[in-house]
Amino acid sequence: MNPFWSNIFRSNGYKQTLAYFLSTIPMFKELDDRELGFLENIVHVRNYEAEEIVFSEGDVGSGMYSIRSGKVQIFNRDEQGKETEQALLEVGDFFGEVALTASRPRCASARTTEPTVLVGLFRSDMLEAVRRHPVPSAKIMLGLNRVISDRLLQCSVQLEDLKQQLAASQKQADE
Amino acid sequence: MSSQSGMSRAQVAVLYLTLTAAIATGIAIYSSASTVTVLFKTATTGLFLPLLLSLIVSFLLDPVVQFFEDKKINRTLSIFIVYFLMSALIFLLLLIVGIPNWEGMINALKADFPRYISRAIEWLSGLLAVAQQHFPFIENYDLAERLRSTSQSFFGLILMETPRSAIKIGSLLLLVPLFSFFFLRDNRRIMRSIISLTPNRYFEMVLDIYAHVSWQLSHFIRGRILEALIIGIVIWLGLSLTDIRYAPILAVIAGATNLVPYIGPLIGMIPGLVIALVDLGMGGQFWWILCVYVLIAQIILDNFILIPILISKVSNLHPLWVILAIIMGGKLYGVMGMIIGVPIASIINITFLEIHQYRRTFNLYNRYFTNRGKLL
Repeated sequence: MNPFWSNIFRSNGYKQTLAYFLSTIPMFKELDDRELGFLENIVHVRNYEAEEIVFSEGDVGSGMYSIRSGKVQIFNRDEQGKETEQALLEVGDFFGEVALTASRPRCASARTTEPTVLVGLFRSDMLEAVRRHPVPSAKIMLGLNRVISDRLLQCSVQLEDLKQQLAASQKQADE
Repeated sequence: MSSQSGMSRAQVAVLYLTLTAAIATGIAIYSSASTVTVLFKTATTGLFLPLLLSLIVSFLLDPVVQFFEDKKINRTLSIFIVYFLMSALIFLLLLIVGIPNWEGMINALKADFPRYISRAIEWLSGLLAVAQQHFPFIENYDLAERLRSTSQSFFGLILMETPRSAIKIGSLLLLVPLFSFFFLRDNRRIMRSIISLTPNRYFEMVLDIYAHVSWQLSHFIRGRILEALIIGIVIWLGLSLTDIRYAPILAVIAGATNLVPYIGPLIGMIPGLVIALVDLGMGGQFWWILCVYVLIAQIILDNFILIPILISKVSNLHPLWVILAIIMGGKLYGVMGMIIGVPIASIINITFLEIHQYRRTFNLYNRYFTNRGKLL
């Protein structure tokens, strides 16, 4: 393509924007351009250095984060202070979404492993948005519901598997 | 030698120059620091009141602007609509009720004031004479004379301040709508940019506390202003049923002093009672006026209807703090400071209470320290 035209119709430029990044997150899939613009105005972009704690287990959470760049490690810490890694999240992943609707304690800690940019969506902003702009907020909430339902489904499938395994191993032990 | 130090002569010269310049600048800044604060103080005098008033106005108008914004009108346009509606409303009110002749009234009051004072003092000395018959030892206190001198000096102060405050009010009429326009339009952006300055570790906490505090504050400010407005209107209506003069001025005084809890309403009713006593005598009208001030405005309307509906219990201040706030406000900004001192103290109180509440529920210690006392 002619560089002159490609400079004018800069398709890459849009991919750099926060709105485009948000549209890639499954929770916000259903939002149109205008609503993405609205979402852009209620999220907070936060910069973290490497090895910085985002939140720790037992905190009362106040929102969810998605990763724009960098990596975040989710881990638990036992009584002796020994850490067990639960997940290593990368660009486009999100975490802490349970705290978006109600103040529940965080069930794990999050720590960046390299310089990271997080996009946070917090409960107080969300509550205000629900009052002021019900339509896009409803879409966000439906997206959140979808994500959590998926996870619940996954969990119950896994639980079923585990039950069957347990039954099988008990049968083995009985024989 | 230059080869030993690894620097050419020119570089050394530049280094010396830079260092000298840096030290000189440091000394200059240090010595002029007091001048800078003085300059800063001079530059910002007189800005406090317009900023405060425009904040209050933007708090009051925000729900109305929000109403239009919900109708899918963009925010700037809705602010203009609200401004237009407000000015139309004021214009209509003036057209219907008729412009109260403020200037004439104030001039008449200026002429009448010494008369009221002297009559009040006469009445007081009569009371004092009776008291002296029963308690001879208070003869030494020349209460009447002291009262006369203080009231005269107070009145002189008001006379002096009136032209100056007229200029002030003119600039307020210009500045307050301008400031509140920007506050209304950009309040979210301003607050977001301030909050985004907090370090990552405290960010969630600050955001939550801000949400709580701003909710409480907007309710408190709206409640107080509405309360004062309603009390003022009721007193105006009640007073205009009688023959008393200066009903609008008395209503404004009663409404403004109503912003100060406990003491305000008492002070606010004194001028009305004095004027009623002097002009109308101790008749049925006087008792009706007293009834309007105390029973209707304060007890029935304020205590039983307005305060429970408009003002939450959170903002209750201890009477001691109220008195301290009045004194400190008076020292800083005169009569105006006395009126706005208590609301500002309540605002600070609400902020502290919210933070305290937050710390209790969220337990900061556990949040940032592990059980081994190590900072996470």
